[in-house]
Amino acid sequence: MSDDLAFWLGYLTNGKHLTWYASFQFTIFAALLGGSLAVIFGLIGATLKNSRYLPLRLIGSFYSSIVRGVPDVLFFLFFPLAFEQAVEWLVATQVCTPELIAAQSAAWPPCQAANWYLGTPEYLILASVSLGLVYGAFATNVIHGALRAVPRGQLEAARAYGMSASQVLWRVHIRQMWVYALPGLSNVWMLVVKATSLLSLLQIADIVLWADRLGAPNFLPTVGLVHDDWRWRYYLVLFVFYIIVTLLSERGFEALMRRAGRGILSERTN
Amino acid sequence: MTQAEPLVSKPSVVAIRDLHKSFGALEVLKGISFEAREGEVVSLIGSSGSGKSTLLRCINMLEVPDQGSVSIDAEEIRLRGRPPHRQIADEHQIRRIRSELGMVFQSFNLWAHLSILDNVMEAPLVVQKRPRAEVEAEALAMLAKVGIAEKAHAYPNQLSGGQQQRAAIARALCINPRVMLFDEPTSALDPELEVEVLRVIKLLADEGRTMILVTHDMEFARSVSDRVIFLHQGLIEEEGTPDQVFGATRSARLKQFLNAASHT
Repeated sequence: MSDDLAFWLGYLTNGKHLTWYASFQFTIFAALLGGSLAVIFGLIGATLKNSRYLPLRLIGSFYSSIVRGVPDVLFFLFFPLAFEQAVEWLVATQVCTPELIAAQSAAWPPCQAANWYLGTPEYLILASVSLGLVYGAFATNVIHGALRAVPRGQLEAARAYGMSASQVLWRVHIRQMWVYALPGLSNVWMLVVKATSLLSLLQIADIVLWADRLGAPNFLPTVGLVHDDWRWRYYLVLFVFYIIVTLLSERGFEALMRRAGRGILSERTN
Repeated sequence: MTQAEPLVSKPSVVAIRDLHKSFGALEVLKGISFEAREGEVVSLIGSSGSGKSTLLRCINMLEVPDQGSVSIDAEEIRLRGRPPHRQIADEHQIRRIRSELGMVFQSFNLWAHLSILDNVMEAPLVVQKRPRAEVEAEALAMLAKVGIAEKAHAYPNQLSGGQQQRAAIARALCINPRVMLFDEPTSALDPELEVEVLRVIKLLADEGRTMILVTHDMEFARSVSDRVIFLHQGLIEEEGTPDQVFGATRSARLKQFLNAASHT
């Protein structure tokens, strides 16, 4: 019995498992940054959609209608690669001399000096920006609708007392919008959380990749990882993780809702 | 109307000339001119759709008139463009002028996300940029004046309609307005709550504040006003002191209106 316990303790705390545990930070980081960016892009998109100027309105509408339709996996693969190559191309126009280009044997980048090496931190940020862009399009729609739900009289009073357009927007309109936006934004947040399971597509050794490796039969016999196909057990751990995140998120959104709804949702007490 | 009242010699605070306003094909105001002088209480009466609320909302440019001008303290509010795209020409000017016009709405329009005290302090702090300590002392004094000092830290939706409207009046008072604009301030209230709001408005009238009041309440208009203006289909049909308008009615339409009003 104690031998068993010692085995499992040793098994679950070996180096590969510790790396797996540590990789949860990538998932959590991508969710938090991606979610925050989605809200920021959503605010920008909704403001564009509400703009007085037709070109800005068109950009906002284009963003929310087109990007929502792009599959997230596809955008996830497309955006970081496109961004990386665009940067490399830009750098190449500055640093590549004809000699350097002649010396380059690979097709891309044009010369070795223009090569941009992306490590996990860079990929993580690009992944978060991709999440923000894709789900920001959903948030744009949610926030646009929420802005329209704020009673007109609230804005009219702000204008009547001499507030500038930006004061009306930030002090009254956006402040009161959250209570209408939060139910929709909590959906967007859950989509972002779920999409974090795609991080391994971008060479990030994330929780899914590690679960896959560690669960595979005889992954690393030399360090004692000898067993049958245990992937389903590892996937089960991921299920539990995502369920816990879901429950915590619901709690978090309830608290946010109470805060944003103060004075708007509370019952009359007189 | 040139009456031998002492108010005539006072400077005009609000001057409206030849105001026209249409919503689509519907012409709501068809050329209205009037003045409100320092310390004067002017009531606008008339049936629904006579244009009285629109006229009031043109004073602070919540509605931009198609034609005509509005001047506050002899300063004309600058507009540009042609109807229906006529708009405010100078954002800084209108914000400065609005910050001296205390508007009270039919549906209160207290900012729902702010406490009563924060509602009253908001415009003095963020528009007039006055120091917080001074504003807070004045806000509390204004809330005491309208009789809801104990509600300072409640949210608007925790108050009765009458209390909300009194808070809205305190919000208007705290900007030290040149003119108070009341847009049917008691129409959304039950009769028993109406009284407490009317009492506060009467108090302000007696203080000699300049006020323009749109109302359905003929009895109140008679008791509080220096001058009453009867609007009919976008034009001034009759104008005079309360005694002239209610006691010696000349217009047949006004007689009909007053008759109908007294039966409701």
